[in-house]
Amino acid sequence: MHNEHVQEHFNNRNVTEIDSNYYMVDIAPYPTDGWGKFKRVLKRALRGELFVGLWVVLREMIRFDIHTVKYPEEKMPIGPRYRAVHEMKRLWESDTERCIGCGLCEKICISNCIRIDTKLDENSRKEVSEYSINLGRCIFCGYCAEVCPELAITHGGEYENASDQREHFLTFGDMLTPLDQMKAGTQVEFEGFGAITPHEDERVKKTPLAY
Amino acid sequence: MEFSVERQNFSARDQHREIKHWGLIDYEPSLCIMCEKCVHVCNEVIGDDAIEVKFGGYSSTIIPKNSEMLDCTFCGECIAVCPVGALTSSGFRYRANAWELSRIPSTCAHCSAGCPLEYETRHSSINGADEIFRVKNNFEFSSLCGAGRFGFDFNNRTKSNESAFNKAVEALKNAKAIRFSSMITNEEAHILQILKEKLGVKLFNEDARLFGEFMKSYSSVSGKLHHSGSLDAIKQSDAVIVIGSRIATDNPGVRYALTTASKHNGAKIVYAHPMEDALMQNVMTQMMKYEVGTEEGVMALLAHEILKDVDLDESERAFFDELDFGYLCAETNIGEEELSFMSKSFTRAKKRTLIIGNDLIAHERALNIAKLAALIEKYSDFSFVVVPRDVNTLGVSLINTLNPDEKIENIVGYNAQGDFVISSLEGADLSVPALNQQEGTFVNIDNRVLPANVALDYEGYTLNDIAQALGIHKKETFEYTQELNKKAGFKAVAFDNLENFLSPMGEDDRGYLLDEVACEANGVLEEIDDLPEFNGTIIYQCDPVLQFNNYTSKAKQLPSENFLRGSAQFSVAARISDGDMVEISFGATKIQRKFKLDDELKGTVALNPTFDISVDASRYRFEKSKIVRVM
Repeated sequence: MHNEHVQEHFNNRNVTEIDSNYYMVDIAPYPTDGWGKFKRVLKRALRGELFVGLWVVLREMIRFDIHTVKYPEEKMPIGPRYRAVHEMKRLWESDTERCIGCGLCEKICISNCIRIDTKLDENSRKEVSEYSINLGRCIFCGYCAEVCPELAITHGGEYENASDQREHFLTFGDMLTPLDQMKAGTQVEFEGFGAITPHEDERVKKTPLAY
Repeated sequence: MEFSVERQNFSARDQHREIKHWGLIDYEPSLCIMCEKCVHVCNEVIGDDAIEVKFGGYSSTIIPKNSEMLDCTFCGECIAVCPVGALTSSGFRYRANAWELSRIPSTCAHCSAGCPLEYETRHSSINGADEIFRVKNNFEFSSLCGAGRFGFDFNNRTKSNESAFNKAVEALKNAKAIRFSSMITNEEAHILQILKEKLGVKLFNEDARLFGEFMKSYSSVSGKLHHSGSLDAIKQSDAVIVIGSRIATDNPGVRYALTTASKHNGAKIVYAHPMEDALMQNVMTQMMKYEVGTEEGVMALLAHEILKDVDLDESERAFFDELDFGYLCAETNIGEEELSFMSKSFTRAKKRTLIIGNDLIAHERALNIAKLAALIEKYSDFSFVVVPRDVNTLGVSLINTLNPDEKIENIVGYNAQGDFVISSLEGADLSVPALNQQEGTFVNIDNRVLPANVALDYEGYTLNDIAQALGIHKKETFEYTQELNKKAGFKAVAFDNLENFLSPMGEDDRGYLLDEVACEANGVLEEIDDLPEFNGTIIYQCDPVLQFNNYTSKAKQLPSENFLRGSAQFSVAARISDGDMVEISFGATKIQRKFKLDDELKGTVALNPTFDISVDASRYRFEKSKIVRVM
């Protein structure tokens, strides 16, 4: 009875409704008989389409509008949902690590490449003592990030993980957001599956009799 | 909301409740619901009486009794019964998620009580080899001591290679004898017996040999092979005599049964031993303190007292008539009033039990003592329990024909000393799996054949592989289970058909009970020998709480305090003081230990732990010793 004002928000992903620039491509029927096919060959051969392409290259060359990415020096921006090497996030409030050592990522990992050791720390809290991901086995399926209840492990954009050996381990410290990045407030939140939706606050209901 | 309660106007301030660290046990008061199960189990089942409720409304907590820190035997039973996880094992806490552990039901391999337990295993860390993370038990119907609960990591991590294996086969071919310990499964003992017959070697196992001879002598009077009692019989009895054992540390299973009997049936418990035991103080009703070495006299006095109104055979009656009471009472230091007090307290009892410990089995006059015990069982309503020293002493004594140990050349040791050592302990010439890494059965104090399962894999050779190399063809060790000695009461049941669980009503459905075997009863009592006198600095071979053998001493969580513990009186007699390094020599053994003064002890007998050394099981547990201080 208190719920009427709360509306469910979903991102509208139906492209046909959003953008009317979409249109059906007009494709002529394919020739079926020999004569028709012969005509098509002649048409294509004598149309001079080749020169259209050559002209485009020449035009762009003269314009000096070059699209080549000089890879090691230049990199293409990676989509926010790209699943590359994992990152361990810190809490915005306290800069401590988000990982609570629940071990769900280890459990769900289908290629069995995550191993986590936990122990009791001096404050009687669960502490991650060892954490490793074997990138040689990881298939970057994203299940670990999806299952993480704390949004602690996420995928980052770091896709350059070539290695001279098959087993390539990544440990907790490697993945954790560096503190100076945290201080600068530049920790990037993952926007892929499992991430908080932008308008999450509005959807959250308060617990009845909230203390 | 549904009840139109939109808000509440009251609140209770959350209290700061600190987590208590009590060694192996952690207590988190904020989780505690004050169900008091831990207090109940500690006082009524275990008998430590170490924790109590601190009353105080919302601020009630569980606290250690009469001390700041928890001072108990660390059986961890309170952890097992805690329904909310307020009491936890500090070694397990936060190391693994409970749902990831796979549970392997098995039998504890530390003492002859053969308690049921479940090993919980999981892969460990990055390399991922399986490891036991914790041990659980069915606390409703059985108890587990701390050694079983926390001493689970005794598995052998050393792998064995082929060259060592070939050497072992060669060594066995040339062997004159095999010496082995009772930390062995029935199946392996059976293999050794086959090897003995095939290779013509001698088998040495002093502990089982003495036990076997004791039981043989017992059978010669009682007319049956096995003792009648069991842990359950002890639990249900209302009158118990314990003699010749520091039972609380020798066999915690018996101790818990005694506690249950005492608390539930109000059992009268007579504890006969040369030394007081603080752990038995809550349970026993009468301490019968006798002189060291006079066990035969004590048994004669007890038998006479118990059987005084019974219709005995003529020869047996004559035996008792000929007893010299003045001499016996004087030498044993047991007064007649003590005996009559015992009789008086036992008058109303309906179920009585006599428990005999290792002091009597390794005694010089063990055979006559066994006959006296058999007489008590035969002519009175006492049921009778002998406490075997090691986990499978009883099984080995039934399966193997053993030779008296002698110092000869070419001895192969199997988990024991020898010229070539095949062992699951460190320093072996060939490594073999430990008892939690192999399938097999034990015979426990109840004469029950109990299955033990593989909790952890072992990469390497087993005794069966060696037997195969020597021409005995069985693919797996457990195929021997149905072939165990039928004459000793074993049944032709295959290993895979052995159950291993306690029923919902608490009935023991583990394995099977040995069949009763009738024997010829032609034993005749011998006259009581002159009772020996032990003077000077005497040591008693006795392990501290939670320690039993070389395997428990391997366990990381168990405290391994190998001090010589003695009273103030002992320290004066031996001219040593607290913290001294001393050299103890007894028999042919010489060891160095730190001396520790123990306020709970009295008299001139000190306790010498044996879990970290290998001790000659053929010797009486009290030893006259020479103790010298070393720098």
